[in-house]
Amino acid sequence: MELSDLVLHHLREVVDLPDLAGTRYELGEEIGRGGLGVVYAARDMQLDRRVALKVMDAAWAGEARLIACLEHPGIVPVYETGTLPDGRVFYAMKLVAGVRADRYVASNPPLGERLRVAHRVGEALAFAHSCGVLHRDLKPQNVMVGRFGEVYVMDWGVEGVAGTPAFRAPETPFDQRSDVYALGALVRFLLPADAHPALIAIAAKAMSRRPDERYADVSGVLLEIEKFQDGLAVEAYVESPWQRVRRFAKRNEVLLWLLAAYAGAKFLVFFARSL
Amino acid sequence: MWADSDTAIGGNRDRFPSTQVSLIEAAAGEPLAMERVAELYWKPVYKFIRFKFRKDNEAAKDLTQGFFASALEREFFRRFDPSKAAFRTYLRLAVERFAANQHEAETRQKRGGGVEFTELDDQAASVESPEEIFQQEWRRQLFALAIEDLRAECDRGGKGTEWSVFEAYDLAEDARPSYVELARRYGVAETSVTNYLAWARRRLRGFVTERLRGVTSGEHELREEMRRLWS
Repeated sequence: MELSDLVLHHLREVVDLPDLAGTRYELGEEIGRGGLGVVYAARDMQLDRRVALKVMDAAWAGEARLIACLEHPGIVPVYETGTLPDGRVFYAMKLVAGVRADRYVASNPPLGERLRVAHRVGEALAFAHSCGVLHRDLKPQNVMVGRFGEVYVMDWGVEGVAGTPAFRAPETPFDQRSDVYALGALVRFLLPADAHPALIAIAAKAMSRRPDERYADVSGVLLEIEKFQDGLAVEAYVESPWQRVRRFAKRNEVLLWLLAAYAGAKFLVFFARSL
Repeated sequence: MWADSDTAIGGNRDRFPSTQVSLIEAAAGEPLAMERVAELYWKPVYKFIRFKFRKDNEAAKDLTQGFFASALEREFFRRFDPSKAAFRTYLRLAVERFAANQHEAETRQKRGGGVEFTELDDQAASVESPEEIFQQEWRRQLFALAIEDLRAECDRGGKGTEWSVFEAYDLAEDARPSYVELARRYGVAETSVTNYLAWARRRLRGFVTERLRGVTSGEHELREEMRRLWS
């Protein structure tokens, strides 16, 4: 007995489709597939709205309960969780209209916008950590940037998730500093090629191989980014005296211009009197 | 309904060579587990050898049989370390080594020795790699076995109509009949057709999972293999 490619392809499709009979949802198209499960668009027939439906192995049931506990503007709200007749679990969540961070970066947004996205991700991460939850697999593909500037961190991980190599901390087991590492990798990814060395240094410090050489927590990374944006020195980057002068001049540009104008005026007055 | 097969060895439980099963049983001491491994992997191994080493039907069968026999002699299955690789990967690499050695030995014998084995690289440039073929055959065999399980369950449970609807729709090679047509053909309501198909697919998924569970080292590998099955 041998299945043809055609039949095999069909079987793989239909056997994987979630059987939503008995739920309030009508299945739509597949919109994503990851290590933990498959995400489909679906329609909530009771409320007549589109939702995202993540279907995964029963072993990951904890993920749904865990995410449902996280209420934060940067974390996609979960509406409902349930179990399919074949034992798989699902959760319905807000369907976010937007682009993944990797595609967002490809549109070449300005630096300020990139840093805002990084900051929003960091805030969501810091909130989750305060609830005792780790992400474990933070990467551009798990960050959505909405059409109106909203930023969502998706695909919160569970115990046993290995992470994605380029964004994964080398140590095991994971702890909060492993997420700091991933945030550093994400910041580095979001930065343009000609980013200021201080920003690159912040990302590099967050990505130190040794956890104790990284920022102690996510807030440390956010604080450094804020310092940079405010024109202050950052802990991760040692400036030369000339760079310090330039940064001081840039940060106090208006004041220096006023002082220069004042000095110029004084000089003119002095010069006029001496005539 | 089924595509022509160039070999039936190992693919069908009824036709599986009993000598191989008994060898596996003798060496492994876990008859059921070993039988499952051979049932699932015989055809992928055969196809992999045939494609990668350009063997004809009989030569590939002999090599496949030789591989399983050799594996048992060396307690191959017991040496598997799940922390290093999935069992499927471990098996494929072992097949590759075994077949390459055999091929090299044959070539030396024919040409008087000293001939380097060079066919692998040439063939790796083919449209579909042997590894992809191995993976596809693994999927194919897994589903074929699960379908047999489903059919057996339908026979046992008096679910002949459920099986017929599933066979007519999901195993159709050509244009699929409509649900209305199936309902008329089997004298059931259209909603029953939907329910029968949903039940059969759900059971099929369960059998696929069970088959995989029998040839993986634990829940983690099982989940990874389930993911690869659909990737």
